[in-house]
Amino acid sequence: MHPDNRVSRRSLLRGAGTALALPFLDAMIPPFARAAEVKAATPARVAFLYVPNGIVMEEWTPKTGEGVGEWALPETLPRITSAIAPYRSELMMLSGLDCNGGRALGDGPGDHGRAGAAYLTATHPKKSAGKDLHAGVSVDQVAAKKMSGVTRFASLELGCEEGVQGGNCDNGYSCTYSNTLAWSTPTTPLPPEVRPRAVFERLFGSLELGADPVRRRLQEMYEKSILDGVLEDARRLQTSLGGADKVKMDEYLASVRDIETRIQSVERNAKSLPINYAAPSASVPADFGEHARLMTDLLVLAFQTDLTRISTVLLSIEQSPRAYGAEIGIPEGHHGLTHHSGDKEKIEKVTQINCYHIKSLVYALDKMKAVKEGDGTLLDHSMIVYGSGISDGNRHDHGNLPVILAGRGNGTLTPGRHIRYSSDTPMANLFVSMLDRMGVEPEFFGDSKGKLDRLSI
Amino acid sequence: MRFVAIGHAIALCPAIAQTDGHRFETSVRPVLAKQCIQCHGDKLQTAGVNFSVFPDSKSAAQNPELWRKVREKVSNRMMPPPPLPPLSAADAAAITGWIDSLAAAPGASGPPDPGRVTARRLNRVEFNNTIRDFLGITIHPADDFPIDNQGYGFDNIGDVLTLSPMLMEKYMAAARSVSRIAVYGEPYEKKSGIVGKLLTKSVQDDGQVSGTTLPFSMRGTLDGVYHFPVEADYLLQFRVTNRRGVEPGVDLSPGGAPNGADAPGRGRGGGRGGRGSRAPMTEEEKQARHEADRKAAPPVEFDVDVDGRQVLKDTVEGNEAYAYDRGPTVAKIHVTAGDHEIRAYFPAHADMDDPRTNLNPRDGRRRLAAEFVEITGPFDPSAQRPPSYKRIFVCGTHDAACARKIVESLERRGYRRPPGEAETRRLLKLVALVQKQGDSFDEGIRIALQAILVSPEFLFRIERDPVSGAGIYRVSNYELASRLSYFLWSSMPDEELMKLADQHQLSRQPVLEAQVKRMLQDAKASNLVDDFATQWLDLRALDRKKPDAAKFPTVDDELLADMRRETLLFVGDVFRNDSDLLDVIKGKFTYVNGPLARYYGIAGVNGFDFKRVSLEGTDRGGILTQASILTLTSYATRTSPVIRGKWVLENMLGAPPPPPPPDVPALEATRPGAEISVRARLEQHRANPACAVCHRQMDPIGFGLENFDAAGGFRTKDGKFDVDSSGTLPDGRTFTGANGLRDILLSQSTAFTRNFTEKTLTFALGRGLEPSDRAAVEQINRKLAANGNRLSALATAIAESEPFQMRRKDESLHASR
Repeated sequence: MHPDNRVSRRSLLRGAGTALALPFLDAMIPPFARAAEVKAATPARVAFLYVPNGIVMEEWTPKTGEGVGEWALPETLPRITSAIAPYRSELMMLSGLDCNGGRALGDGPGDHGRAGAAYLTATHPKKSAGKDLHAGVSVDQVAAKKMSGVTRFASLELGCEEGVQGGNCDNGYSCTYSNTLAWSTPTTPLPPEVRPRAVFERLFGSLELGADPVRRRLQEMYEKSILDGVLEDARRLQTSLGGADKVKMDEYLASVRDIETRIQSVERNAKSLPINYAAPSASVPADFGEHARLMTDLLVLAFQTDLTRISTVLLSIEQSPRAYGAEIGIPEGHHGLTHHSGDKEKIEKVTQINCYHIKSLVYALDKMKAVKEGDGTLLDHSMIVYGSGISDGNRHDHGNLPVILAGRGNGTLTPGRHIRYSSDTPMANLFVSMLDRMGVEPEFFGDSKGKLDRLSI
Repeated sequence: MRFVAIGHAIALCPAIAQTDGHRFETSVRPVLAKQCIQCHGDKLQTAGVNFSVFPDSKSAAQNPELWRKVREKVSNRMMPPPPLPPLSAADAAAITGWIDSLAAAPGASGPPDPGRVTARRLNRVEFNNTIRDFLGITIHPADDFPIDNQGYGFDNIGDVLTLSPMLMEKYMAAARSVSRIAVYGEPYEKKSGIVGKLLTKSVQDDGQVSGTTLPFSMRGTLDGVYHFPVEADYLLQFRVTNRRGVEPGVDLSPGGAPNGADAPGRGRGGGRGGRGSRAPMTEEEKQARHEADRKAAPPVEFDVDVDGRQVLKDTVEGNEAYAYDRGPTVAKIHVTAGDHEIRAYFPAHADMDDPRTNLNPRDGRRRLAAEFVEITGPFDPSAQRPPSYKRIFVCGTHDAACARKIVESLERRGYRRPPGEAETRRLLKLVALVQKQGDSFDEGIRIALQAILVSPEFLFRIERDPVSGAGIYRVSNYELASRLSYFLWSSMPDEELMKLADQHQLSRQPVLEAQVKRMLQDAKASNLVDDFATQWLDLRALDRKKPDAAKFPTVDDELLADMRRETLLFVGDVFRNDSDLLDVIKGKFTYVNGPLARYYGIAGVNGFDFKRVSLEGTDRGGILTQASILTLTSYATRTSPVIRGKWVLENMLGAPPPPPPPDVPALEATRPGAEISVRARLEQHRANPACAVCHRQMDPIGFGLENFDAAGGFRTKDGKFDVDSSGTLPDGRTFTGANGLRDILLSQSTAFTRNFTEKTLTFALGRGLEPSDRAAVEQINRKLAANGNRLSALATAIAESEPFQMRRKDESLHASR
């Protein structure tokens, strides 16, 4: 490409509506770029996709050898994972990882609430039905803290199932524990957005603001003043409030500052690109598959345009009673079926649901492979984790969790293998290793006992 | 008197000369000695409870929390557990009576402590309502906010509601659009065109209804709310699907079988068959064919109502061909800006005994249905400013004085208190900034309004500790006004409340009582039904429950919505008429419309409108036998006596069963081929003593309701088994069926009213109840009982109670001053 054809993104900014977008990164890379420049233009992305209520492990785990070790992923995989067999050279399956935070540890029943809350935080959540929730900072948010001001959105929380408003969802554990994957502080859950249209508007600006750039600039200036004003309001309030009220004001202040930072980063980097993607309709699809695909489209778009590099997707919530009647002809609720007590018919239905869910991963892999970036694809530059905080849903087992780690992590992962770790290896070790690869170098995370070896050769 | 525990002798202190002390000695301790100490004594200390350490009433009174738990277990007859003999009614009453007297004694709850509610941010319902009452516009920006966290059963608990950055962004966006709409009205296309479309689902699937797709109705109803951007004329163009005259087995292809001749035994009117040749038709033939099509199926009335008033009465006749030629059905309406309900329906279909009559047997699709409506407009839109404009611009000049007047009035309403000088000045600076940029005065005010809408003083209900003074204090009149209005209306105080607060009158008892009465009679009090009662009864769970379409083919979205409506109208009746709250359990009446009446087997109700009917002489009556409750406490394919029992214990009696212990062994899988009824399967719960302790409480209640299937219909058989609706409670009492269950519950009416008091107080305060609230709860409960269990008495008693009127200071705040 001729050097002068390189596009300045700023030049695209002030256009209105849906101007055509360029593939984000190719156009940015100077011709004859050095490897380091290419690397800088193709940062690592990470996403966590979550399915609840466990997996039928006999139909998931590859039938490779026993014990600790690693093997090449065979061409034929069991029923559930057979869907990803065509992508086996771009992903790893990990066995034997543990989420000890999900276990009772003396707190009695509540495995679903715990599983949801402990999955990305690797801590044992406090048993509470609402008032004093306490989990931990989730791994995506640890990474996101580095992204504040770098990408427009430090992270993106997406989901396909609106959480339950039921106070005590699981034996004394608040619904918030099962409704959320991401926690920015041990007491601040980040609820996922399930409406595709709302995600779109959040990412690409409300359609209402579309038209006049002069108008838009003025409005932005006014809103900056508004934010300054309310920050002053809140700070003054802080000094006259006590106890728990102050904590609420802290949340408010943190949220407002978050918006301010975002506005500042936009001004600095001018990264917003108008895109050629039709806004999704206002309604939430009733069909799970359609909903998941829409969310994945938006996720890939957000990665592609570098609006964010970190995301969590709560495909379905822990204890979900969702029935997939219209989709795959199973009218009974998911959670109920997973407590099968050995009933072969129920196990079969759960397997079908697991097979149905994993199609969302296949779709994501497809889409990410199709995005060319620099010297590879978006998938090459990403780390995508698909799994659940429970392995055997019938017995609420928090060990030997089902984990797929897809992508090459910008050259830091060696896919194509099934790795089994010794059975008390914390999943948090994986998170430490992933954070390393994102440029955060924590000494530990949650209940980690070190890094996870064997991930790259 | 000595009592002797197994293996231990306890020395006695002299009896304390207090009434409750004496009571403890004579009526309580002997019972404990005889029936409890075996496990809850020094030797075993089962579950960490040891009654031997209380030689007298004084020592016992030190541990009110323990006795609260004891009271629960005794009054629910959970203790002593079988095989030990149960307490006699007299002994149980003695124990609970003594415990109650403990709680009500002055100083019983420790030093007076009205508790301290944490600053509560407005939840979604409150946000929408507040916008409506503040600015007079009915858009619901909060419908896009993430769901509110819930605690203690409600979504308005201060401590539990969090504020994430995503929510803050949504507040900003909402403030932007709300302020724009309030000042300028909603944007709309100047050139009229199709502004919207309401589409109904065409099949009953198991998915949840969401977004702009309207619920499925076998009877072909279209019922939805559309938000009109501006006052104007609009055209509603309905696509009425008519698939009549399409019967199975008839070949409709051109040149097909002659009329009726080869059709397999189905008599039907004309069709397209019958012409063997392909010669073009003459005018006459066309007319004749048209007439034949029109006569092919009888005329059916089709009505359209907007906001409950009829705007169109039409007739649908003929078969599909005729309808196709006829074109869409159009209604012309004139409406104001805002939400309006559009309902299109076939009145006769309300009275179908089986709604499947409207389904075409050939393909299962509906014969007649309002499939969608396209809304075209606006025609001749009103050029006037929106009504919200006048509320904001209280003066007409564009000078500094007017700006101040406007801003102060917005602050007063938005912050729910008189504004301070510093904050007013800051907002006025904003107004000036905007005008300096060349924008209009109106735009300046709009920006100030946007700032108010994202201020913490708007988003949170803030209560300020006084700087000096005692550790507990009365909340200010303004704070009291907000507490009242958000309790009874889930919205901001109105001008009358604010004026009374200005005059410091609101805290005076007669004024307060009069205001509570006024507020309960205001239309906004419907929130107590739509918001409070819906959460109390867990009705939102109905959104996620859908009876299996194969097992319950006549239950569609429309019927489920009717079931929900029934319960809301029923509870609303008890609330609005200020009747005895126990009518919720025993009221022998309900509200049904034609479809629901037929579902229940109630005669004499026709049409889609709801009517109050008597249930005397039937098995139904009260909330427990309403289809909404019966459905939300079931699985998609079968009933669950356990869930139903738990629901009653939790929501009606305030005695939720403890969670299952860890490592619960699975119920033994039934042998393949063996079929047993739901009830028989659950008997396994009682065979295992570890399970029985709790399940003998829950299961019998559910058994009593087994005559009602998983969608609330009445049945005498569960599959091929006869329904056995008898139940035996832990204390040995037996009952049969819903009527028997109702009597049992009424015998525990104090548990019901106490639970209702506690739930209402939690909702009113916006925090969970603490032991220090015990005395207040007892006091409120007594006032409720003394006034015929009426809602107005409860609301007044709550408004006058200490926890509602006062607040505990945060000592740490002022410690360093």
